[in-house]
Amino acid sequence: MVCEARKTLSGSPRIVILQGGPAGDPAKPTATVSGDSPSVSVLSWSSLRADALGTGMPSISAAYQSVFAASERLSARACCVIASKTTTPMQQWICQLMQPLLEAGCDLVVPDYAHSAFAGLLNAAVVSPLTRSLYGKRIRNPMGPDLGVSRQLFQKMLGGDRNGRASARMHPLASLAPMAFCANLEVCQVYGGARVYPQTDWTNISSLVAQVLGPVFLDVERNAGCWQRTRGSVSLRGVGDAMPAVEEPGTVDISRMAESFQLGIRDLREIWSLVLPPTTLLELTKLSRLAPDRFRMRDELWVHIVYDFALGHRLRTINRDHLLGSFTPLYLGWVASFVRELETAGAAAREQRLERLALAYEAAKPYLVSRWRWPDRFSP
Amino acid sequence: MWDQAKQALDQSMAQILTKLASLLPGTVALLVAVGISIVVAWILGNTVRRVLVGMQFDERIVRWGFPSVAEGSPVKSPTLLVSWTIAFLVIIAGLLIGIAAFDAEWTSRFVDTIAAYVPKILGAALVLVVGTVIARFLSRSVLIGAVNMNFEYGRLLSVGVKWLVIVLAVAMALEHLRIGSGIVELAFGILFGGIVLALALAVGLGSKDLVTKSLEREKKKASSEAVEDPLLHV
Repeated sequence: MVCEARKTLSGSPRIVILQGGPAGDPAKPTATVSGDSPSVSVLSWSSLRADALGTGMPSISAAYQSVFAASERLSARACCVIASKTTTPMQQWICQLMQPLLEAGCDLVVPDYAHSAFAGLLNAAVVSPLTRSLYGKRIRNPMGPDLGVSRQLFQKMLGGDRNGRASARMHPLASLAPMAFCANLEVCQVYGGARVYPQTDWTNISSLVAQVLGPVFLDVERNAGCWQRTRGSVSLRGVGDAMPAVEEPGTVDISRMAESFQLGIRDLREIWSLVLPPTTLLELTKLSRLAPDRFRMRDELWVHIVYDFALGHRLRTINRDHLLGSFTPLYLGWVASFVRELETAGAAAREQRLERLALAYEAAKPYLVSRWRWPDRFSP
Repeated sequence: MWDQAKQALDQSMAQILTKLASLLPGTVALLVAVGISIVVAWILGNTVRRVLVGMQFDERIVRWGFPSVAEGSPVKSPTLLVSWTIAFLVIIAGLLIGIAAFDAEWTSRFVDTIAAYVPKILGAALVLVVGTVIARFLSRSVLIGAVNMNFEYGRLLSVGVKWLVIVLAVAMALEHLRIGSGIVELAFGILFGGIVLALALAVGLGSKDLVTKSLEREKKKASSEAVEDPLLHV
């Protein structure tokens, strides 16, 4: 598959595939795939061993770090990580991620998967519109996980990681796109098929939210000097043809999420009051009293909540793990509102809805900037 | 006889007056020491209060996770509490200096006893402070975890955990101060055991149905095909 992909790339580059196992010598690959010339090699790399605990984000982060370290050692021009399954044939997907890096001068290639109804909700609710609003780039999946990274960018990542303290170590998935934007590097967006997402583990949703948003908020704090100057947003260079959205008929049970939100309003108000202003708490209280068929969280309310939590994370108003844990009922409330609103809507309506949400993030950015610069003036 | 009585009375009067006269310098010294210490305490207390107000000490205390200091204090202000405590200590010091004017040896024995007890007081205070911080942290962790797991009685669990840790910290502090050790141990055991039993009953009885449903769900999942959840977050 990789050999076939390699044939479509210009310049006949040498490709090294990293495989989890004991650390190997870059000069002596453990296996050679193509018969006559070592143009495609497989190299054992110890840091890519499967995580015994099967945890998500931390193991992906470690995998990315080890890929960058291996690429640096191999003096690679670029590296590509494919961490998910898509409906796009793998050979084509590899080419689509590698071509902009090798031929079009892109430093970061991010995917734009075919949109499906209720997939990638955390990305749609927070990560994507927040990144767009802060850095002024309309990026759909800033955290990949399938990414192509140029040598310049992964060297920056490794350099930043070496210089920073262990506690402030950058998380590759959260930091790559912001770092590329702040360094004015070229970022391209590749259209791909629908992504196959792992099933939701409802007992672990809080950990998932914390694992994703923790590095995102840390990056917001780290890049404060960069994003405060940005206004509005522009589209990224697109590569390929946009794939049609995936229609997924059927109803969704939102009772569990609504229940979680109600429980949060009842029991976590005291914690939320340390982060959210009284007006937001009042709105949340009114929202909790609405009938299920009228339950709808306004975009402005949701955006303010996200911005307030990002600021709370920076100020360490409460312990950061507690902050991110208390965010989960609010997120589930947003999901319930989003699903209730768009359950019977088509793909075009969902796209418009997400675009309105992204515009709400951009419109509320001055609120974030003011609170960021003068937190005491606006403290709850 | 009247002359002898008068002589005895004169002698006792002279003794009393001599005794009082011998105490007079000490009394004056005590009053002067207390007076000076009150003035110094007032100046120091005001200075400390102004410095703490300038540092926004009250707001910082709440942010550091000690709102109970503001709520529990009779003056509702940690700044006033600290400044009054410092003033009080200065006045006590003045009092001790004044008392030393009567009998230096008695005062020095008193001070030695107090000085030997101060490390225990500091240790007990440290145990209480650390215990309070841990209690707040754990109660908040339990509350957030319980809410995220959709437990209805998360607040009860959180309060129970908080009071368990506080009771433990208070018992340790009293043990450290050697105050009523036997009674404190017994009372702590009864209270701690009571809280744990109450929590266990609340959780056990309250989650009986939940555990049953959870086991039935696991049994169904094992026997039937997995139903896909249409909501996918990451």
